[in-house]
Amino acid sequence: MEEKHGMAKVMAIIPGLAFMVFTLYILRTYVEPWMAHAVVLGQKGWFVKVLHLNYILLAIIAGMLYRNLMWGGKIPGWAEEGFRTTRLFIKSGVMMLGSLYTIQSLAKVGGVAITLIMAFVFGTIFFIMYYGRVQKMDRSLIGVMAAACGVCGVSAAIATAPAVRAKSADVALAIATVLGFGIASMFVSPFIGHMLHLTDYQYGAWVGTGILNSGQVLATCLAYNPTIAPGTAVAYGEIWNVVRVISIPFVVFFVTMWYWRAEAQTEHITLGGIIKDKFPIFILGFFTMTALSSLEMLGAEGSSTIHLMRTVMSWIFGLGLVGQGAYIDVRELRAAGGAPLKVGFAAGLFKYALALVIVLLFVSKEANF
Amino acid sequence: MSEPKKNTKMTVFKTDRHEDLAAMFFVTIAVVSVLVYMAYIVPSITLKAPMDGKVVAISVQPEAQVKKGDLLYSMEIKQKKYVHDTLEEKIVTKDFHAKTSGKILSISAKPGDVVKKDKNEILVLEHEKGVLP
Amino acid sequence: MKILLALDPSTRTMDEAIKFAAEKQASLTALFVLDTTWNDYTGHDWLSGSGSRADFLEYARDDELASEVDVLATFRGRCPPDCEIRSATGRVTDEILNELARGDYDLLVMSQPFRRGLEIVRDTAGMILKGATCSVYLVREDEVRCSSRSGIESSLGVPAS
Repeated sequence: MEEKHGMAKVMAIIPGLAFMVFTLYILRTYVEPWMAHAVVLGQKGWFVKVLHLNYILLAIIAGMLYRNLMWGGKIPGWAEEGFRTTRLFIKSGVMMLGSLYTIQSLAKVGGVAITLIMAFVFGTIFFIMYYGRVQKMDRSLIGVMAAACGVCGVSAAIATAPAVRAKSADVALAIATVLGFGIASMFVSPFIGHMLHLTDYQYGAWVGTGILNSGQVLATCLAYNPTIAPGTAVAYGEIWNVVRVISIPFVVFFVTMWYWRAEAQTEHITLGGIIKDKFPIFILGFFTMTALSSLEMLGAEGSSTIHLMRTVMSWIFGLGLVGQGAYIDVRELRAAGGAPLKVGFAAGLFKYALALVIVLLFVSKEANF
Repeated sequence: MSEPKKNTKMTVFKTDRHEDLAAMFFVTIAVVSVLVYMAYIVPSITLKAPMDGKVVAISVQPEAQVKKGDLLYSMEIKQKKYVHDTLEEKIVTKDFHAKTSGKILSISAKPGDVVKKDKNEILVLEHEKGVLP
Repeated sequence: MKILLALDPSTRTMDEAIKFAAEKQASLTALFVLDTTWNDYTGHDWLSGSGSRADFLEYARDDELASEVDVLATFRGRCPPDCEIRSATGRVTDEILNELARGDYDLLVMSQPFRRGLEIVRDTAGMILKGATCSVYLVREDEVRCSSRSGIESSLGVPAS
């Protein structure tokens, strides 16, 4: 596609963006209220009570339907630029989520989050290093899968791949695996959560730890409880998510050192260099919002200002998630296979199930948030 | 043979670093807009029921001036709390205070009304300009 | 008769196309498409920060360029001197279909499964068959694990249209 600049670029964004806004508007204004009252199988609100559908899941499903059914597998040219803004919206939403916390509340829950996450991150990495060798996987692919399954899925895979000289074909299969697992858990987790009567705190801790691709953690939390407020699933899940995102550069460093051990290359790898190249600076925005919230500069909890701020946040997330759905190509996910699938599936399932058991056994129903 | 184009165009922005900065800028605009709108543009705010329950007392009168922290109304609500991992439910009376100073324009609810969260109106407050309601 | 060969690393497909062109005294054009869809493929990933994705996309592009050099060198080593070689960049199926539309070809020869860039996770033959304006000759690639993935299992030597 021809590179556009200035106003032409802005104009190119408008059709796709308008389409995303229109979709979300229809979902929130008409579809969601209709679902709350629709009678199916003799039950009022069946879509909400039984299928646990809300505007977040609907936004993702709408995006997926557009790409996979309406557009035959790829986002059309007219919408492409607009849909590329999806990451901007999600990153913005994540930063604004920082306003749900105060520094004190982060400190309270952060300790549990850091302990659980670090145990799972390095537990998964060592598991994959062992199981990958058993499966006679290529060292570079073990490195990519260890980072992908250990910490943040796709983000960690692509951050690690160049450092361990992974074949891009292997990375493609690794991405299909972790993304497929993440999407499946996004739809399955709310059902399990409701079935086991998990509280928002337990659910946030579970999916924040157990979901392979942390890109789906927020959506999975919002699918469980679409309310954005302190003490809800998304508020807890996001703390877990932030810890994972921050740990990406450290995991990349660890995996890279493991890959190049005893080679001259290690001399050129420094933690500082990796942090400089890979640290997601939007996380600083998240902590800025937390600081502002701690200073009560965004309005008092329960005030109309905070209410409006969270409404704006929910629209920003919704827009981002319509776009996220449209980047999911079911046919491409079906291609997951070979060693990445075997190892990824084993690690993913192990992590998902073990996290649930640990949360049920050791994490209290409610946090002192 | 044609020279392949550099395929580093990832977002509408040049790199993720630009995208991160753009997101920070966007959030700043969004937050400042909300704060300015609420502090200076909105003339009055409608306080809706913050949770499901029953209004038991209204502590202010129409046209009354209230200060931040003054008691506005009280509600009987069902409080759910986990005590030793067991859900305990009890009916408690909760007081709701003014988040900002201002003047009460009207009161829609009366003691005894059963209200639904975010659905039923309790009162309308004209807040002081420049403060966040 | 004009034949288009969609290039991927398969030497078997190259040989089949060269042999077929010689038998039919047809002109043979080989097309290598450099896949630029990595950006879209990682489009759902919003957590990457700073240079992660840019580094990776550059790395993937370098891999693509290296693959181009390899495949073209292999093909040049086998093809007769009058073969034309073309390169394109973009989504592989789109570029093959564009070339078919531009060049008025009678036959497209390609591997099944087609191993070019991200096409390893896509049903290339299925997409091509939907849009192709000429006959398509799918050469079965036996060594690849994903052969059962596609619904199109054309047997060797039978052009599908």
